[in-house]
Amino acid sequence: MSPTPTFMNAPLMPWYIAAAIGAAGLLMVLRPGRAAMRRAGAVIGLAGFGLLLAESLKLAGPADQSISTPFMMAFAAVGVIGAVRVVTHPRPVFAAIYFILTVLAAAATFLVLDAEFLAFALIIVYAGAILITYLFVLMLAHQSPEDEIGHIGAEDYDRVPREPFVAVLLGFFLLASLGSAIERGPELARENAAAATARLAERKAEAAKSMPRLTVALPEGSNPSDAVSNVQMVGLDLVAKYPASLELAGVVLLMAMFGAVVLARRQIELGEDERRKAAGMGGMVLDVPEHERGGA
Amino acid sequence: MTPLLAQAGLTQGVTVALVLSAALFTIGLIGFLVRRNMILMFLCTELMLQAASIAFIAFGRMREDTGGQTFVIFILTVAAAEAALALGLVVLLYRRRETLSAEAWQELHE
Repeated sequence: MSPTPTFMNAPLMPWYIAAAIGAAGLLMVLRPGRAAMRRAGAVIGLAGFGLLLAESLKLAGPADQSISTPFMMAFAAVGVIGAVRVVTHPRPVFAAIYFILTVLAAAATFLVLDAEFLAFALIIVYAGAILITYLFVLMLAHQSPEDEIGHIGAEDYDRVPREPFVAVLLGFFLLASLGSAIERGPELARENAAAATARLAERKAEAAKSMPRLTVALPEGSNPSDAVSNVQMVGLDLVAKYPASLELAGVVLLMAMFGAVVLARRQIELGEDERRKAAGMGGMVLDVPEHERGGA
Repeated sequence: MTPLLAQAGLTQGVTVALVLSAALFTIGLIGFLVRRNMILMFLCTELMLQAASIAFIAFGRMREDTGGQTFVIFILTVAAAEAALALGLVVLLYRRRETLSAEAWQELHE
Protein backbone atom coordinates (compact mmCIF):
# COMPACT_ATOMS: atom_id res chain seq x y z
CA MET A 1 0.00 0.00 0.00
CA SER A 2 1.34 3.38 -0.88
CA PRO A 3 -0.08 6.58 0.55
CA THR A 4 -0.85 9.03 -2.23
CA PRO A 5 1.73 11.78 -2.11
CA THR A 6 -0.03 15.06 -1.58
CA PHE A 7 1.47 18.51 -1.51
CA MET A 8 -0.35 19.38 1.69
CA ASN A 9 0.90 16.36 3.59
CA ALA A 10 0.73 17.13 7.31
CA PRO A 11 4.26 16.10 8.41
CA LEU A 12 5.80 18.14 5.62
CA MET A 13 3.81 21.33 6.14
CA PRO A 14 6.48 22.78 8.51
CA TRP A 15 9.15 22.03 5.87
CA TYR A 16 7.26 24.08 3.29
CA ILE A 17 6.71 26.91 5.75
CA ALA A 18 10.40 26.95 6.70
CA ALA A 19 11.37 26.98 3.02
CA ALA A 20 9.00 29.88 2.41
CA ILE A 21 10.50 31.85 5.32
CA GLY A 22 13.99 31.22 4.00
CA ALA A 23 12.92 32.28 0.52
CA ALA A 24 11.36 35.49 1.84
CA GLY A 25 14.55 36.30 3.72
CA LEU A 26 16.69 35.67 0.65
CA LEU A 27 14.41 37.89 -1.42
CA MET A 28 14.84 40.71 1.09
CA VAL A 29 18.61 40.30 0.97
CA LEU A 30 18.63 40.26 -2.82
CA ARG A 31 16.78 43.55 -3.23
CA PRO A 32 19.30 46.36 -3.45
CA GLY A 33 18.31 49.11 -1.12
CA ARG A 34 18.42 50.03 2.50
CA ALA A 35 20.96 48.17 4.58
CA ALA A 36 18.53 47.68 7.47
CA MET A 37 16.11 45.85 5.17
CA ARG A 38 18.86 43.56 3.95
CA ARG A 39 20.05 42.85 7.48
CA ALA A 40 16.50 41.96 8.54
CA GLY A 41 16.29 39.72 5.49
CA ALA A 42 19.50 37.97 6.50
CA VAL A 43 18.11 37.27 9.96
CA ILE A 44 14.81 36.00 8.53
CA GLY A 45 16.56 33.83 5.97
CA LEU A 46 18.87 32.31 8.54
CA ALA A 47 15.89 31.67 10.80
CA GLY A 48 14.17 29.93 7.88
CA PHE A 49 17.20 27.73 7.31
CA GLY A 50 17.40 26.94 11.03
CA LEU A 51 13.74 25.99 11.01
CA LEU A 52 14.35 23.80 7.96
CA LEU A 53 17.14 22.01 9.81
CA ALA A 54 15.08 21.64 12.97
CA GLU A 55 12.09 20.25 11.09
CA SER A 56 14.24 17.76 9.20
CA LEU A 57 15.94 16.66 12.39
CA LYS A 58 12.52 15.99 13.89
CA LEU A 59 11.85 13.62 11.00
CA ALA A 60 15.29 12.00 11.18
CA GLY A 61 16.38 8.92 13.03
CA PRO A 62 18.61 8.79 16.11
CA ALA A 63 21.87 10.68 16.38
CA ASP A 64 24.71 8.85 14.71
CA GLN A 65 27.59 7.81 16.92
CA SER A 66 30.40 9.00 14.69
CA ILE A 67 28.75 12.03 13.09
CA SER A 68 28.57 15.01 15.39
CA THR A 69 25.27 16.77 14.71
CA PRO A 70 26.18 20.12 16.34
CA PHE A 71 29.34 20.36 14.26
CA MET A 72 27.39 19.54 11.12
CA MET A 73 24.84 22.23 11.93
CA ALA A 74 27.52 24.82 12.55
CA PHE A 75 29.27 24.03 9.26
CA ALA A 76 25.93 24.02 7.44
CA ALA A 77 25.18 27.50 8.78
CA VAL A 78 28.59 28.78 7.67
CA GLY A 79 28.17 27.20 4.24
CA VAL A 80 24.76 28.72 3.70
CA ILE A 81 25.88 32.17 4.85
CA GLY A 82 28.79 31.99 2.42
CA ALA A 83 26.52 30.85 -0.41
CA VAL A 84 24.05 33.68 0.21
CA ARG A 85 26.90 36.18 0.13
CA VAL A 86 28.09 34.69 -3.17
CA VAL A 87 24.66 35.35 -4.60
CA THR A 88 24.13 38.78 -3.10
CA HIS A 89 27.51 40.49 -2.72
CA PRO A 90 27.73 43.54 -5.00
CA ARG A 91 31.46 43.09 -5.62
CA PRO A 92 32.43 40.02 -7.64
CA VAL A 93 35.84 39.49 -6.03
CA PHE A 94 34.25 39.32 -2.60
CA ALA A 95 31.61 36.93 -3.93
CA ALA A 96 34.41 34.61 -5.06
CA ILE A 97 36.09 34.86 -1.66
CA TYR A 98 32.81 33.99 0.05
CA PHE A 99 32.62 30.99 -2.25
CA ILE A 100 35.92 29.85 -0.75
CA LEU A 101 34.23 30.08 2.66
CA THR A 102 31.47 27.80 1.39
CA VAL A 103 34.05 25.37 0.04
CA LEU A 104 35.80 25.29 3.41
CA ALA A 105 32.49 24.61 5.16
CA ALA A 106 31.75 21.80 2.71
CA ALA A 107 35.21 20.34 3.30
CA ALA A 108 34.53 20.44 7.03
CA THR A 109 31.29 18.52 6.57
CA PHE A 110 33.24 15.99 4.48
CA LEU A 111 35.63 15.54 7.41
CA VAL A 112 32.75 14.95 9.79
CA LEU A 113 31.27 12.46 7.31
CA ASP A 114 34.52 10.44 7.28
CA ALA A 115 35.63 11.48 3.81
CA GLU A 116 39.08 12.79 4.74
CA PHE A 117 40.68 12.45 1.33
CA LEU A 118 37.89 14.31 -0.43
CA ALA A 119 37.89 17.03 2.21
CA PHE A 120 41.49 17.92 1.47
CA ALA A 121 41.15 17.34 -2.25
CA LEU A 122 38.25 19.80 -2.20
CA ILE A 123 40.31 22.46 -0.45
CA ILE A 124 43.32 21.96 -2.71
CA VAL A 125 41.48 21.65 -6.02
CA TYR A 126 38.52 23.96 -5.42
CA ALA A 127 39.79 26.64 -3.10
CA GLY A 128 43.36 26.35 -4.27
CA ALA A 129 43.05 25.99 -8.02
CA ILE A 130 39.60 26.65 -9.43
CA LEU A 131 38.72 29.62 -7.24
CA ILE A 132 42.11 31.22 -7.76
CA THR A 133 41.52 30.98 -11.50
CA TYR A 134 38.17 32.68 -11.03
CA LEU A 135 39.77 35.41 -8.95
CA PHE A 136 42.49 35.93 -11.56
CA VAL A 137 39.96 36.28 -14.35
CA LEU A 138 37.78 38.60 -12.27
CA MET A 139 40.72 40.83 -11.50
CA LEU A 140 42.09 40.70 -15.04
CA ALA A 141 38.85 41.30 -16.82
CA HIS A 142 37.52 44.01 -14.73
CA GLN A 143 38.31 46.90 -12.45
CA SER A 144 35.69 48.20 -10.08
CA PRO A 145 34.69 51.75 -10.94
CA GLU A 146 35.77 54.48 -8.59
CA ASP A 147 33.74 57.57 -7.85
CA GLU A 148 35.27 61.04 -7.72
CA ILE A 149 36.39 60.77 -4.09
CA GLY A 150 38.07 57.44 -4.67
CA HIS A 151 35.50 55.13 -3.10
CA ILE A 152 35.42 51.82 -4.91
CA GLY A 153 31.89 51.13 -6.04
CA ALA A 154 30.19 48.32 -7.92
CA GLU A 155 28.98 47.98 -11.48
CA ASP A 156 25.26 48.31 -11.96
CA TYR A 157 25.01 44.77 -13.28
CA ASP A 158 26.60 43.47 -10.07
CA ARG A 159 24.43 45.55 -7.79
CA VAL A 160 21.00 45.10 -9.32
CA PRO A 161 19.75 41.52 -9.51
CA ARG A 162 17.79 40.23 -12.48
CA GLU A 163 14.23 39.17 -11.67
CA PRO A 164 14.84 38.33 -8.00
CA PHE A 165 11.21 37.53 -7.24
CA VAL A 166 10.78 34.96 -10.02
CA ALA A 167 14.14 33.36 -9.19
CA VAL A 168 13.36 33.05 -5.50
CA LEU A 169 9.91 31.66 -6.29
CA LEU A 170 11.53 29.03 -8.50
CA GLY A 171 14.01 28.23 -5.74
CA PHE A 172 11.17 27.82 -3.26
CA PHE A 173 9.42 25.37 -5.57
CA LEU A 174 12.65 23.41 -5.98
CA LEU A 175 13.09 23.17 -2.22
CA ALA A 176 9.44 22.20 -1.76
CA SER A 177 9.69 19.43 -4.34
CA LEU A 178 12.83 18.16 -2.61
CA GLY A 179 10.61 17.98 0.46
CA SER A 180 8.11 15.81 -1.35
CA ALA A 181 11.00 13.55 -2.39
CA ILE A 182 11.64 13.07 1.32
CA GLU A 183 8.03 12.06 1.66
CA ARG A 184 8.34 9.33 -0.97
CA GLY A 185 11.74 8.18 0.29
CA PRO A 186 10.63 5.74 3.01
CA GLU A 187 8.16 4.14 0.65
CA LEU A 188 10.90 3.44 -1.88
CA ALA A 189 13.22 2.38 0.91
CA ARG A 190 10.71 -0.16 2.18
CA GLU A 191 10.22 -1.55 -1.30
CA ASN A 192 13.84 -2.40 -1.88
CA ALA A 193 14.97 -2.73 1.70
CA ALA A 194 15.60 -6.43 1.28
CA ALA A 195 17.57 -5.94 -1.91
CA ALA A 196 19.60 -3.17 -0.31
CA THR A 197 20.44 -5.27 2.73
CA ALA A 198 21.58 -8.12 0.52
CA ARG A 199 23.71 -5.76 -1.54
CA LEU A 200 25.24 -4.24 1.58
CA ALA A 201 26.23 -7.68 2.91
CA GLU A 202 27.66 -8.58 -0.48
CA ARG A 203 29.67 -5.40 -0.59
CA LYS A 204 31.04 -5.93 2.90
CA ALA A 205 32.15 -9.42 1.96
CA GLU A 206 33.80 -7.98 -1.14
CA ALA A 207 35.61 -5.38 0.93
CA ALA A 208 36.76 -8.03 3.37
CA LYS A 209 38.08 -10.08 0.45
CA SER A 210 40.06 -7.18 -0.97
CA MET A 211 41.56 -6.32 2.40
CA PRO A 212 44.34 -8.93 2.49
CA ARG A 213 45.57 -7.64 -0.84
CA LEU A 214 45.93 -4.20 0.66
CA THR A 215 47.56 -5.21 3.91
CA VAL A 216 50.46 -6.68 1.97
CA ALA A 217 51.77 -3.20 1.37
CA LEU A 218 51.50 -2.16 5.01
CA PRO A 219 54.60 -1.76 7.17
CA GLU A 220 55.46 -4.29 9.83
CA GLY A 221 53.64 -4.10 13.12
CA SER A 222 50.79 -1.86 11.96
CA ASN A 223 47.39 -2.45 13.43
CA PRO A 224 45.21 -4.53 11.10
CA SER A 225 42.08 -2.69 12.23
CA ASP A 226 43.24 0.49 10.49
CA ALA A 227 44.51 -1.48 7.54
CA VAL A 228 42.13 0.11 5.05
CA SER A 229 42.16 3.87 5.32
CA ASN A 230 39.77 6.19 3.59
CA VAL A 231 42.33 7.05 0.93
CA GLN A 232 42.97 3.40 0.17
CA MET A 233 39.26 2.66 -0.03
CA VAL A 234 38.64 5.51 -2.46
CA GLY A 235 41.69 4.62 -4.50
CA LEU A 236 40.72 0.98 -4.73
CA ASP A 237 37.19 1.93 -5.69
CA LEU A 238 38.44 4.33 -8.34
CA VAL A 239 40.86 1.94 -10.00
CA ALA A 240 39.14 -1.39 -9.48
CA LYS A 241 35.50 -0.47 -9.94
CA TYR A 242 35.47 2.51 -12.29
CA PRO A 243 38.57 2.23 -14.51
CA ALA A 244 36.71 3.31 -17.64
CA SER A 245 35.34 6.40 -15.91
CA LEU A 246 38.83 7.23 -14.75
CA GLU A 247 40.11 7.13 -18.33
CA LEU A 248 37.14 9.22 -19.46
CA ALA A 249 37.91 11.80 -16.78
CA GLY A 250 41.42 12.03 -18.19
CA VAL A 251 40.00 12.58 -21.68
CA VAL A 252 37.65 15.27 -20.36
CA LEU A 253 40.55 17.11 -18.76
CA LEU A 254 42.65 16.82 -21.90
CA MET A 255 39.85 18.16 -24.06
CA ALA A 256 39.24 21.02 -21.66
CA MET A 257 42.91 21.88 -21.86
CA PHE A 258 42.82 21.83 -25.67
CA GLY A 259 39.70 23.97 -25.59
CA ALA A 260 41.22 26.52 -23.26
CA VAL A 261 44.39 26.72 -25.35
CA VAL A 262 42.48 27.15 -28.59
CA LEU A 263 40.21 29.82 -27.12
CA ALA A 264 43.09 31.80 -25.66
CA ARG A 265 45.26 31.52 -28.78
CA ARG A 266 42.69 32.73 -31.26
CA GLN A 267 42.00 35.77 -29.14
CA ILE A 268 45.60 36.94 -29.01
CA GLU A 269 45.97 36.70 -32.79
CA LEU A 270 42.79 38.67 -33.33
CA GLY A 271 43.83 41.44 -30.99
CA GLU A 272 47.20 41.82 -32.70
CA ASP A 273 45.69 41.87 -36.15
CA GLU A 274 43.15 44.50 -35.26
CA ARG A 275 45.74 46.70 -33.65
CA ARG A 276 47.94 46.52 -36.75
CA LYS A 277 44.99 47.37 -38.98
CA ALA A 278 44.13 50.32 -36.80
CA ALA A 279 47.71 51.54 -37.14
CA GLY A 280 47.45 51.31 -40.95
CA MET A 281 50.02 48.55 -41.21
CA GLY A 282 47.82 46.05 -43.03
CA GLY A 283 47.20 42.48 -41.96
CA MET A 284 49.81 40.68 -39.99
CA VAL A 285 51.75 37.98 -41.76
CA LEU A 286 52.23 34.98 -39.56
CA ASP A 287 55.46 33.06 -39.26
CA VAL A 288 57.67 35.95 -40.36
CA PRO A 289 60.66 36.33 -38.05
CA GLU A 290 60.82 39.53 -36.10
CA HIS A 291 63.84 41.07 -37.92
CA GLU A 292 62.35 40.59 -41.40
CA ARG A 293 59.00 42.10 -40.47
CA GLY A 294 60.14 45.67 -39.92
CA GLY A 295 59.25 47.49 -43.16
CA ALA A 296 55.85 45.90 -43.89
CA MET B 1 5.10 5.77 14.34
CA THR B 2 8.70 6.23 13.31
CA PRO B 3 9.53 9.61 11.76
CA LEU B 4 9.57 9.82 7.96
CA LEU B 5 13.30 10.11 7.43
CA ALA B 6 14.13 7.55 10.07
CA GLN B 7 12.14 4.99 8.04
CA ALA B 8 14.53 5.60 5.16
CA GLY B 9 17.49 4.97 7.44
CA LEU B 10 18.65 8.57 7.69
CA THR B 11 20.47 9.51 10.86
CA GLN B 12 20.72 13.07 12.12
CA GLY B 13 24.16 13.87 10.78
CA VAL B 14 23.28 12.64 7.29
CA THR B 15 20.02 14.60 7.41
CA VAL B 16 21.82 17.84 8.19
CA ALA B 17 24.20 17.21 5.29
CA LEU B 18 21.27 16.60 2.94
CA VAL B 19 19.46 19.75 4.06
CA LEU B 20 22.68 21.70 3.53
CA SER B 21 22.98 20.16 0.10
CA ALA B 22 19.40 21.09 -0.81
CA ALA B 23 19.87 24.64 0.46
CA LEU B 24 23.15 25.16 -1.38
CA PHE B 25 21.71 23.81 -4.63
CA THR B 26 18.69 26.09 -4.36
CA ILE B 27 20.82 29.14 -3.57
CA GLY B 28 23.08 28.26 -6.50
CA LEU B 29 20.10 28.04 -8.84
CA ILE B 30 18.71 31.35 -7.60
CA GLY B 31 22.14 32.90 -7.97
CA PHE B 32 22.46 31.67 -11.54
CA LEU B 33 19.16 33.35 -12.41
CA VAL B 34 19.73 36.51 -10.42
CA ARG B 35 23.36 37.34 -11.17
CA ARG B 36 24.10 39.39 -14.27
CA ASN B 37 27.87 39.04 -14.17
CA MET B 38 28.90 36.14 -16.42
CA ILE B 39 31.74 34.97 -14.18
CA LEU B 40 29.49 34.93 -11.13
CA MET B 41 26.85 32.98 -13.04
CA PHE B 42 29.45 30.26 -13.57
CA LEU B 43 30.46 30.54 -9.92
CA CYS B 44 26.86 29.77 -9.01
CA THR B 45 26.94 26.59 -11.10
CA GLU B 46 30.02 25.62 -9.10
CA LEU B 47 27.88 26.14 -6.01
CA MET B 48 25.37 23.65 -7.38
CA LEU B 49 28.14 21.13 -8.10
CA GLN B 50 29.30 21.59 -4.54
CA ALA B 51 25.81 20.81 -3.26
CA ALA B 52 25.73 17.63 -5.35
CA SER B 53 29.09 16.56 -3.90
CA ILE B 54 27.79 16.98 -0.36
CA ALA B 55 24.76 14.83 -1.18
CA PHE B 56 27.01 12.16 -2.72
CA ILE B 57 29.25 12.05 0.34
CA ALA B 58 26.28 11.96 2.71
CA PHE B 59 24.55 9.09 0.92
CA GLY B 60 27.84 7.24 0.58
CA ARG B 61 28.36 7.57 4.32
CA MET B 62 24.84 6.36 4.99
CA ARG B 63 25.25 3.21 2.89
CA GLU B 64 28.88 2.65 3.86
CA ASP B 65 29.87 2.73 0.22
CA THR B 66 32.90 4.60 -1.08
CA GLY B 67 31.22 4.98 -4.46
CA GLY B 68 29.88 8.34 -3.33
CA GLN B 69 33.37 9.64 -2.64
CA THR B 70 34.67 8.24 -5.91
CA PHE B 71 32.00 10.09 -7.79
CA VAL B 72 32.93 13.37 -6.11
CA ILE B 73 36.38 12.99 -7.68
CA PHE B 74 34.68 12.97 -11.07
CA ILE B 75 32.65 16.02 -10.06
CA LEU B 76 35.92 17.79 -9.24
CA THR B 77 37.24 16.83 -12.66
CA VAL B 78 34.20 18.20 -14.44
CA ALA B 79 34.26 21.36 -12.33
CA ALA B 80 37.90 21.98 -13.21
CA ALA B 81 37.25 21.41 -16.93
CA GLU B 82 34.19 23.64 -16.80
CA ALA B 83 36.08 26.41 -15.03
CA ALA B 84 38.89 26.37 -17.58
CA LEU B 85 36.56 26.47 -20.59
CA ALA B 86 34.00 28.84 -19.14
CA LEU B 87 36.60 31.34 -18.03
CA GLY B 88 38.32 31.17 -21.42
CA LEU B 89 35.01 31.93 -23.10
CA VAL B 90 34.18 34.71 -20.68
CA VAL B 91 37.53 36.40 -21.28
CA LEU B 92 36.90 36.13 -25.02
CA LEU B 93 33.44 37.68 -24.64
CA TYR B 94 34.77 40.37 -22.34
CA ARG B 95 37.36 41.49 -24.89
CA ARG B 96 34.64 41.88 -27.52
CA ARG B 97 32.25 44.01 -25.47
CA GLU B 98 34.37 45.37 -22.62
CA THR B 99 31.74 44.35 -20.09
CA LEU B 100 31.03 41.26 -18.04
CA SER B 101 27.28 41.82 -18.11
CA ALA B 102 25.40 38.89 -19.62
CA GLU B 103 22.87 41.34 -21.03
CA ALA B 104 25.46 42.64 -23.47
CA TRP B 105 24.82 39.45 -25.43
CA GLN B 106 21.03 39.56 -25.40
CA GLU B 107 20.79 39.88 -29.17
CA LEU B 108 22.57 36.56 -29.64
CA HIS B 109 19.46 34.98 -31.17
CA GLU B 110 19.91 36.90 -34.38
